[in-house]
Amino acid sequence: MVKTRKRIVKTRQLVVYLGPSIALALAFIVFPLIFIIVMSFTQWAGLGPARYIGIQNFDYLFHDPSFRAAVVNTLLWGGVGIFVQTPLCLIAALVLSRRPFMWKFIRTLLFVPSVVSTTILALVWYFMFDPEIGLVNGTLTAVGLKSLAHSWLSDPSTAQGAIMVPFVIYIGFGMVLFLTQISTVPKDILEAAQLDGANVWRQDLHITIPSIRRAIALWALFLVGYVLRMFEYPYIMTDGGPINRTMNVSLYIYDQMVTADQYGLAMAAGVVTVLLGPSSWPASCSYCDG
Amino acid sequence: MDRVVVTTQVVARIGKWLFLGVLLVLSLVPLLWLVLSSFKTTPELFRGPFTLPRHWSFANFTGALSTLPLVTYFRNSVVVSAAGTAATIAISTMAAYALRHKFRLNGLTRNFLMAGLLVPFTPFMTPIFYIIERLGLYNTVWGLALVYAGMMLPVGFLIIKTYMDTIPEETLEAARIDGASFHGVFFRVIVPLTAPGLATAAIFLVISDWNELLFANLLTASPSAQTLQVGITTFLTGYASNYPQAFAGTAMAMAPTVLAYALLSNRVIDSMTASALK
Repeated sequence: MVKTRKRIVKTRQLVVYLGPSIALALAFIVFPLIFIIVMSFTQWAGLGPARYIGIQNFDYLFHDPSFRAAVVNTLLWGGVGIFVQTPLCLIAALVLSRRPFMWKFIRTLLFVPSVVSTTILALVWYFMFDPEIGLVNGTLTAVGLKSLAHSWLSDPSTAQGAIMVPFVIYIGFGMVLFLTQISTVPKDILEAAQLDGANVWRQDLHITIPSIRRAIALWALFLVGYVLRMFEYPYIMTDGGPINRTMNVSLYIYDQMVTADQYGLAMAAGVVTVLLGPSSWPASCSYCDG
Repeated sequence: MDRVVVTTQVVARIGKWLFLGVLLVLSLVPLLWLVLSSFKTTPELFRGPFTLPRHWSFANFTGALSTLPLVTYFRNSVVVSAAGTAATIAISTMAAYALRHKFRLNGLTRNFLMAGLLVPFTPFMTPIFYIIERLGLYNTVWGLALVYAGMMLPVGFLIIKTYMDTIPEETLEAARIDGASFHGVFFRVIVPLTAPGLATAAIFLVISDWNELLFANLLTASPSAQTLQVGITTFLTGYASNYPQAFAGTAMAMAPTVLAYALLSNRVIDSMTASALK
């Protein structure tokens, strides 16, 4: 009798302590997920009733060159993140893990951009690429390469590469994560390898990198999540242009919802985006096998 | 043979410093250039990027402050990130404590609360807009804080739970034997002992909330609720002709997090890495 009462009291306490978190997760994850799946089959202008139109939204998306560009570009960002940015983070971490002169100070400086918002970084690089006052053209002119200077963000052949620059070069966060992991690799294994005549490269390649490959795979997963939600660089630097060259899925959803009032279409694009996440996990697992 | 070894070592050393040097230049020079340029006049700006401003005047800064309500944006950002972070932390700590108890759905609840780590939130723009609108919180700092509290819950919960799970069960048991109730254990044992973990989570959450743009843009419409991130994007539309002012405004928006980082760099680095690899 007493025991049952105690259990009821405990259940009530658990409900009180878990209630808020479960409510938030239901409101901001479960409900939105169901909502976008259901509404992706409707035509809806945000106000008034939604009209069921079957798979027409998906059909439209499939044939919309703008959406196709958005998916291709998002996958491109993911690929560049996994196969260019991640290796850069790793090389920087390996170099700093040998504790060169002032390595702690260098680590602290390289991390600075990670505390600055993507919005500000996008603005900074928007100004950097300004054809007249930007530092990029200014530097090219100063070193005698004036012929290369041009309007980076409005030229269809350079816009995508240009807005990726800050994404690729700000390696501080990934580097620090890898550095933390490298510090947990047992020193005696490395010393034994050294005694056996393995040079620095071989120690890195055969011992350090394999020991932290879980961290590398997690970082790649994190990048996939980042790329799927990233919206600032195209929104601020190019607005998706020129001619959709820099459109990505987040900006596409935003434009359909906020600019075009095509809520049903925005949510169909959202469903595709949610599905893109798991489908790109195998790419990040290319690091799992080391 | 020896000469080959020495040569490769020298090349490797040069390559190492070249690599680090390029990374440092790329990471810092754009930010420094922006700050330097915000002291220049428009003609000086067009004369070239490598000259120093002739007068170090704060005219662009005061100009930016008078054309945009940057102080209001700043205040909104403080309120939103403080309220959002406080809510995420309180709710995550309670949930992590509840999950220290044995009950049937424990594992399932834990996975449910962490599932959000795998979901990108951008596709949820419409439903989240709909919820906030229905609650009457559209264009308020509280609506935005609520959304951040929910969006950041999975990562906040992960950091706090990881830390809390290092408290040994015996410590909780000892408190119970001394007669502490369910709530007593929470307030007198769990919260104080988890405090370092909460601080770690708080730094990460404040930076994330402070820097968010998409939902801040979507859920606010007037300066009374807009955050600094939303505010500075107006430099693109309204102030294209006044670059130095836009630079000064951006530099001011960048200052709070960079200054906080300068003071607490190791704490910030630790807390931002804590979220990822546990």
